[in-house]
Amino acid sequence: MKRWLFLLALLTLASCEKPDTRPTITVQRIFGDCRAHVPKGRPATANPNGECEIITGLLDRFEAENPDIRLKIITVAWPGYDQLSAQFAADDAPDLVTMHMAVIPDYKSHHLLMPMSEDLKEQGITPDQFTPVARRAVSMDGDIYGLPFDSWTQLFHINMNLFAKAGLVKDGKPILPRNAGELLVQARQFRERTGKPYFVQSMVNERAAYARNLYTYLLAQDEVIFPDPNHIRLNTPRAREIVGLFKRIYDENMTTRDQDYGTATAAFVNGQGGVYIVGTWMIGAFDAEAATPGRPLYKGYTVVPYPVLFGDRPAAFVDGHAWVMPVKRRTPEQTQAVMRLLKFLSVHEADWTRSGHLSSMKAVITDPAYQAQPHRRDLMAITSYGQGLPIDVQRQFAIQDMLSEELAAAITGAKPVDQALHDAETRINDMLTNLS
Amino acid sequence: MSRVRGRRVWQGLRYAFCAVMLILILLPLAWTVFLSLRNNVDLMRQAPLSLFGPYTLGNYGELLKNRTLFRWFFNSMVVSGFSVLGVLALSSLAGYAFGRLRFPFRNWLYAFVLMGLAIPDQSVILTRHHIFSTLHWHNTYLALILPGLSAPLGVFLMTETFRAIPKGMEDAARLDRASPFMIFWKVLLPQTIPAQASLGIYTFLLSWNDYWWPLISATRPDMFTLTEGMAAAQTNYAEVTGMGVLMAEAVLAGLPVLIIYIAFQKHIVSAITGMVKL
Amino acid sequence: MAIMARKGEARGWGNLLFALPFLSVYVWLLVYPLLAGIRLSLYRANLFGGEHFIAFENYIRLFRDRTFIQALGNSILFVGLTVPLLVALALGLALSLNRATRFAAFMRSVVFASSVLSVTVLTIIWRQVLVPDGGLLSHFSHMIGQAPVAFLNDQRLVLPSLAVITVWWSLGLPMILFLSALQQVPRSVYEAAALDRATPWSVFRRITLPAVMPAVILVAAYECALQFQVFGQPQLLTQGGPNGASRPLVLYIYETGFNHWDIGYAAAASQMLFALILVALLVPQAARWLPAFLKGRRA
Repeated sequence: MKRWLFLLALLTLASCEKPDTRPTITVQRIFGDCRAHVPKGRPATANPNGECEIITGLLDRFEAENPDIRLKIITVAWPGYDQLSAQFAADDAPDLVTMHMAVIPDYKSHHLLMPMSEDLKEQGITPDQFTPVARRAVSMDGDIYGLPFDSWTQLFHINMNLFAKAGLVKDGKPILPRNAGELLVQARQFRERTGKPYFVQSMVNERAAYARNLYTYLLAQDEVIFPDPNHIRLNTPRAREIVGLFKRIYDENMTTRDQDYGTATAAFVNGQGGVYIVGTWMIGAFDAEAATPGRPLYKGYTVVPYPVLFGDRPAAFVDGHAWVMPVKRRTPEQTQAVMRLLKFLSVHEADWTRSGHLSSMKAVITDPAYQAQPHRRDLMAITSYGQGLPIDVQRQFAIQDMLSEELAAAITGAKPVDQALHDAETRINDMLTNLS
Repeated sequence: MSRVRGRRVWQGLRYAFCAVMLILILLPLAWTVFLSLRNNVDLMRQAPLSLFGPYTLGNYGELLKNRTLFRWFFNSMVVSGFSVLGVLALSSLAGYAFGRLRFPFRNWLYAFVLMGLAIPDQSVILTRHHIFSTLHWHNTYLALILPGLSAPLGVFLMTETFRAIPKGMEDAARLDRASPFMIFWKVLLPQTIPAQASLGIYTFLLSWNDYWWPLISATRPDMFTLTEGMAAAQTNYAEVTGMGVLMAEAVLAGLPVLIIYIAFQKHIVSAITGMVKL
Repeated sequence: MAIMARKGEARGWGNLLFALPFLSVYVWLLVYPLLAGIRLSLYRANLFGGEHFIAFENYIRLFRDRTFIQALGNSILFVGLTVPLLVALALGLALSLNRATRFAAFMRSVVFASSVLSVTVLTIIWRQVLVPDGGLLSHFSHMIGQAPVAFLNDQRLVLPSLAVITVWWSLGLPMILFLSALQQVPRSVYEAAALDRATPWSVFRRITLPAVMPAVILVAAYECALQFQVFGQPQLLTQGGPNGASRPLVLYIYETGFNHWDIGYAAAASQMLFALILVALLVPQAARWLPAFLKGRRA
């Protein structure tokens, strides 16, 4: 018995750490774990413009420049909200955490986030420095609930080498369809001339892309998706048209099938298709591929906003990442430390945008150095016409999950399109009307 | 059909069946080891892999440089180890009480305990999470160990085991006016070693494999159990780490338990065999 | 001294102390949470606080919820696919390996070895077997010139695939339990049967099967209860897809609780799971008592 107690005591002691008097703040983020090829305090040995590589480098740099602050960095798998909810429920939330702007209203309405405008002002950060899109997304009830870090959207990433082979390049620019009919014609042409599918899509275990595609084209036609905060409206002729197009693309084998996110990304990089529908965050990585001789994307990569397939003006569904402060007891030193980190991140936002994300700071957007980066000029307009979802609708990620599941069923033919849209409506409305 | 031929047919079927099962079980394991020895870049190419292709130990190298895997393993060992000790202690004491001693309401209490056998973890997990939240005990070993101690299976097993010991065992000790605890400790407990072993092994595996509870209780990566950490690695891999490293992680995570099993095979099998005799 | 000892024994409250440690943990972490969960299922409640009483509305809502019904069906189907296959294969292995050869011992180890892996390692291994891009089975498909099948992304194949994975993983313990039951039959019985020139089939039917039947019922009941609680495999491999075809009850409860934050509703769903398991465990009991009861005898 005595031996066991001794062992127990030893083990509990072993799990204690040496006393450290520096203020410690826990920083929780998504974007993956790449410590293996990003040694502490040194540049990345691979993919230097990847999200993971940049954020790891930034946080390392902050630690090096601020030795009086200790960071405990927790990397969680995307999107990280299951853990965050469990942590909030356990009263054990991190000090600072990345959060999609679409989700901020949720946590804010449950009084889980701290307003930041006062503290940010002390650090010299004011809301008028943010782009309109970002500012709208983080402002609620007259206060700021997150520091914008970027805006992102889904884009058409194009393998220009394959496009050229398919005869879809003119004057060095890709030929894009101007409506749904042209898309089908060009896709068929692409398949005939290259033997590969026009689209590369992540379709398996995919809980976001489907919803985003639908939102983009609904917003382009000024369709009201949420008539009130507790209802969604999906089973409309326009929605059916959009989903019908994607279903046709699937049925006629104009897209890769049965791939999850990782596999689809690898497939595009390996030259298995013409257009990969994914977000801004891959621009840095794909540019790196385009600079590597011998790779399928070598000197053959460009990226454009979604072509106007429905309606008559461009639209983009835009979201973004922000840094939010969960409500918790902090010592004044800890709060100061958090603010200093926020200031650092805001100042280095331009560095973060090397990944391809759009900046959320006006100063960076208008900076010629930023605009000189590849493709940025083509995408800048999105920061003005991009739209997000209404901020008074809660549970956006749960909605996205359910919607994507039903859309996947419709597009792969498991259910008729109107049945899927109807089911999505029912499920989402059931959840929204039973919120407490 | 002649009897001899009939028997030959059975024999042939048996061999075929065993051969097929052997291949089916070993193939996925071999495939995992094979993938763990390939370059991440090769695996990204999504081209069919050749058996003679370049092999590398680099994935293992990368993993061994990274401390977190060892931390997770340590956590799992601590949690599972103390779970076993806790369950054995509590179940033996309670089993002795229900199986050998008399006290008021004994049979009612035993029935009350048996009813708990039907309760699935999922019916209680939300409230358990709330209990530990109020105590601020999440992200501790206590939170990972305690819920396992409330399972009634061990008590059921030990009660039946104690009951099965012949009545005469304690007489000598009682003549010596030994206390109930001494009778328990010196006379009866040693008789239950096989059952203890079975219960211990079963509890260890159950605790090692627990997934949902650590997922919501141990939210800090340094408190992850190995099972939970591997799940996090799985969902993270698509972002950066690479398939080869993930496979190597799977091999390294499975290996220790396999080694323990192989080393203690005979004991494990005879222990579980003993359990069936109830 | 003797009188005091007798008095203490008669009342025996002291003896209760032995059971107290377990009973305390049992009540605190199993009984109380169950009751609290049942209470919670009668409320509309949020993960972060706030609740109000709505009586049985959650249950009514459950039965109108297509996703719940689908999850319920998936759980029942999953158990129906997994348990018979598992019992049959484990029994077959036990029968085939019930001998003292080195090969049998090696094979028994191999079978049990797959059981000691954790569920997360299991899913890592099997994803790379089933996935159509670079998976083991897709390599075989290419070799025979066929397009690879996307097992985990096909509505009709996904649940059977998960069942196969689960059976692969769970063979060890049932096999050993059956082996022990088989080994309880003394050699003399088999020798007597051989002398009587019994055919292998009648040996099986008259000697082997009755000997192993109690173990079969035990394993079947236990595995049913266990497989109703399947969580890791679908959550890690398919996240319940495609189209909810592989979403079992427990995943539904998890999503409702931690994704939708709707814990009153999740609690109601988990009470349904409890009821399901209760039925699964009571059915073999009833099956045992029913014939005796019908014959007018008490069990």
